Amino acid sequence: MSRVQPIPRISLIWLLVAQVLVIVPHLTHLPVWIIALWLVCAGWRIQIFRMRARYPNAWAKVVLMLVAGVGVFISRGSLIGLEAGTVLLVAAFILKLVEMHSRRDALVLIFLGFFTVVTAYLFDDSMLVAFYSLLPVCALLAALIGLQQSVFAERPMATLKLSATLMLQAAPLLLLLFIFFPRIGPLWSLPAPSAKGVSGLSDSMTPGDIADLSRSDELVFRASFTGQMPPRPKLYWRALTMERFDGKRWSQAPFAELAAMPDWQRGGEPWRYSIIMQPTEQRWLFGLDVAQTDLPGVRQLNDFSLQAAAPVDRSLLYEVESWPQSVREAQVARDALQRNLLLPEQGDPRTRAWAQQLRQQYPQTNLLVAALLQHFNREAFYYTLKPPRLEEDSVDAFLFDTRRGFCAHYAGAMTFVLRAAGIPARLVAGYQGGEINSAGNYVSVRQFDAHAWVEYWQPGTGWQAVDPTFQVAPERIESGLEEAMTEEGSFLEDSPFSPLRYRQLSWLNELRLGWDNLNYNWQRWVLGYQSGQQFDLLKRWFGEVRAERLAVALVGGGGLLLGVLALWFFKPWRNRPSPQQRQYQRFERLLLRHGLVRGTAEGPRDFARRAGQQLPAQAALIRQFIEHWEQQFYAGKPADGVQLKRALQALRRALPWRFTRPPERT
Amino acid sequence: MSATRWYRPWWNRWLSKRIPPASSVQLNHRRVFIIPSRTGVAFGGALALMLLAGINYQNSLAYGLTFLLFSVFVIAQHHTYGNLAGLTLQAAGGAPVFVGEQAAFRIRLISSVRPHQALALSWPPAPAQVVDVPLLGMVESELAVPAVQRGWLRPGRLRVESQFPLGLLMAWSWVDLDQTVLVYPRPLAGDLPLSAGAGDDPEDEGVKASGHGADDFQGLRSFVPGDAQSRLHWKAFSRGQGLLVKDFVSLVGREQWLDLQALDGDLEARLSLLCYWVLQFSKNQQPFGLRLPGREIASDSGDAHRDACLQALALFGLPA
Repeated sequence: MSRVQPIPRISLIWLLVAQVLVIVPHLTHLPVWIIALWLVCAGWRIQIFRMRARYPNAWAKVVLMLVAGVGVFISRGSLIGLEAGTVLLVAAFILKLVEMHSRRDALVLIFLGFFTVVTAYLFDDSMLVAFYSLLPVCALLAALIGLQQSVFAERPMATLKLSATLMLQAAPLLLLLFIFFPRIGPLWSLPAPSAKGVSGLSDSMTPGDIADLSRSDELVFRASFTGQMPPRPKLYWRALTMERFDGKRWSQAPFAELAAMPDWQRGGEPWRYSIIMQPTEQRWLFGLDVAQTDLPGVRQLNDFSLQAAAPVDRSLLYEVESWPQSVREAQVARDALQRNLLLPEQGDPRTRAWAQQLRQQYPQTNLLVAALLQHFNREAFYYTLKPPRLEEDSVDAFLFDTRRGFCAHYAGAMTFVLRAAGIPARLVAGYQGGEINSAGNYVSVRQFDAHAWVEYWQPGTGWQAVDPTFQVAPERIESGLEEAMTEEGSFLEDSPFSPLRYRQLSWLNELRLGWDNLNYNWQRWVLGYQSGQQFDLLKRWFGEVRAERLAVALVGGGGLLLGVLALWFFKPWRNRPSPQQRQYQRFERLLLRHGLVRGTAEGPRDFARRAGQQLPAQAALIRQFIEHWEQQFYAGKPADGVQLKRALQALRRALPWRFTRPPERT
Repeated sequence: MSATRWYRPWWNRWLSKRIPPASSVQLNHRRVFIIPSRTGVAFGGALALMLLAGINYQNSLAYGLTFLLFSVFVIAQHHTYGNLAGLTLQAAGGAPVFVGEQAAFRIRLISSVRPHQALALSWPPAPAQVVDVPLLGMVESELAVPAVQRGWLRPGRLRVESQFPLGLLMAWSWVDLDQTVLVYPRPLAGDLPLSAGAGDDPEDEGVKASGHGADDFQGLRSFVPGDAQSRLHWKAFSRGQGLLVKDFVSLVGREQWLDLQALDGDLEARLSLLCYWVLQFSKNQQPFGLRLPGREIASDSGDAHRDACLQALALFGLPA
């Protein structure tokens, strides 16, 4: 049809509402000028509707489009890519509103709105965002319904209600599709939105870096165990190993991934658990020693850490099997150990001398290690989040002068001493412990759980982990950083509003843990529901997963759902008479209770006349009813059933109340 | 829906078996058809794009929204179908018209189970009329069809369509309410050679009847059904003398006969001319008779007489 169909008012109202709702979650990553553009466009559109402004002409449209394009280019540095694309999409969504005159334009706008909702998911897929997004979707559907309604329809809430009803009715089918629709891997790779300001471990660090990291309560990953969870002091989550020391910084050995697969023997019982990690923009995964996973693209490096094929840029779920009792590299070529003995050419002379002294005192490696740990335990070392700055000969200064440090100071110093004493040793960076959520049998590890510990090697037993921090502050390992910092009071000092600071308030803590559990399950069962998870679940339900079974479940289940819904919707067993007929039946039932029965050959009008004679007081009302009824039933006078209902009600009120039929008069 | 499609006859036969013509039709599952509308197809395309985003970004929420919208689309089938099902359509008649006018068909829509919104009624390709029917309500809609030919006008099957609520699906039905409207010939002004009797008085040939028959009041007579209301003697009625009619007599003093065969030219043009004169005489309350080959209507006057004459003209020569 060539004529332009105007947009009904209801649809416009809901489009404006939907636009606000759609754009709100994008505000965190949209440039500010978009909001200004949006206010101008929404105002303009309302003025157009009130006939106080005109639609933009072709020139104005070109100018607006150019302005938006240039704006995106200036604020995002490009017109392609997810960030710029999203801004462009939102800009189009805003500009289209002004230009919209016909129903077709409104349709385009509604579809754009749905896409904009989808892009919001790419930036944030938390539970809150997901549930929030039901609001804009509902409003967009209401706008879509509004387009079908007449221009004179006046009740926007009824439209919204219908759209909510539709969504509610769609819920079971949605669930079915979500569970059974086959998930496949990406068809082509697309850039994920760059995670801005991801904090976390990096591949090199000075001892103070981990202390800085401990100021953050950001979630790193959650691990849920099948079966018994190991005790907290055993939860040493390895991320990476640092083997190079330049006198100040520890860093990962270059080309570590090129080294051969390490040799290790499994021993004891494994721990099985799954980890959902937040994006880190780094390639390492977390695991307890010795960790194995069958996630595609992930391999075990020579230092027993797990590495993904590409930086982890979106949350990732993987299953891990850890063998804590295994022997790692009992035999290894001497030159392979060489890099774990390297020290800077010079510096820290006091430490080197002390190491030599220890070596002479304890020729056996494990005795030397034990003596070193004893030293940390007995001497006046302090565990602190605010270590003093160390300049030249930092290890010397720490071991002999300040004696105040965080985990990385202890681990770094110990590795240095061991190497100086001729024992291959390296520093392991990762996380220790985590918060155990007993409701969900999982542990949440946050940035402040960052930790560094030491591994040393001796022939026969291979690599062994030791933690000097445990000697200084055992409560850090047993109960966590907060306990270790009670005296200093420095736990999450910079974030006074972090709920983690208020764990002693038990109700608040329960609330927080409950919420955390909810989020965890959301991440596990909704966000993590990709091919692997789906396969596991379906296998558990149906034994074997085959395409035919999936198709049968989808089609059969869907058909069943639709059938049930149709029954509920149409109620075919109820073959209703017309409203006029129904009201008339009620009228007869009412009179029956007053002893009046319509004869078989008696027409409604005659019956009413007779009833009027018998009940003279109500004769007028009876006549009124029967007249309305005749008008509607025979004459086809346009009306709804309400008038008839009222007439019947008036008659009912006028008659004395009777529940049953009186005894026959004789 | 072009009328020249090859499947047309087959389709019509199938339809009349499925939805037989009746003056009142209630729509049910046998009578309602439903397919995705053009918007629905576009919506499907948009869903495919969203699904692609879900797959490529491995984003469960994008999958979720796609599934939600798809489910809404599926559920909308029930709503769109339900918006037609249960609706009763009744023919509510229509007044006769003249060729060249719009014949108005009144259609009564009755809701008995649920309200019906945005129902589009049309005889394609005419634009549709959109009506809402409230719950348990009754609404009358008047649809115009151009009257192009005299005789009985059957508008054919009425298309009842609804895309409510989402516009993504289109449910429709073709209903034949067995409605007809009588179309009279188009009245065309012109001179009329009057024939008196069967032309037995040749001298009278050529006497022209002027359009302004000046009538003389003759007296009162009692009312006979068919007499024009304008001639009722209301004053006498109010005095309780019963219905009396003012009786006039034509100045011509002779019965006027409208005779098709007395005219020359094209049949339709002759019928149109007669139609004009039927209307003229009736307006002037002048009695006249109509003579058509095979049919003669005796001289009379009044609305009933006029309608009978018009009907005879409308149907003349047409198969019954």
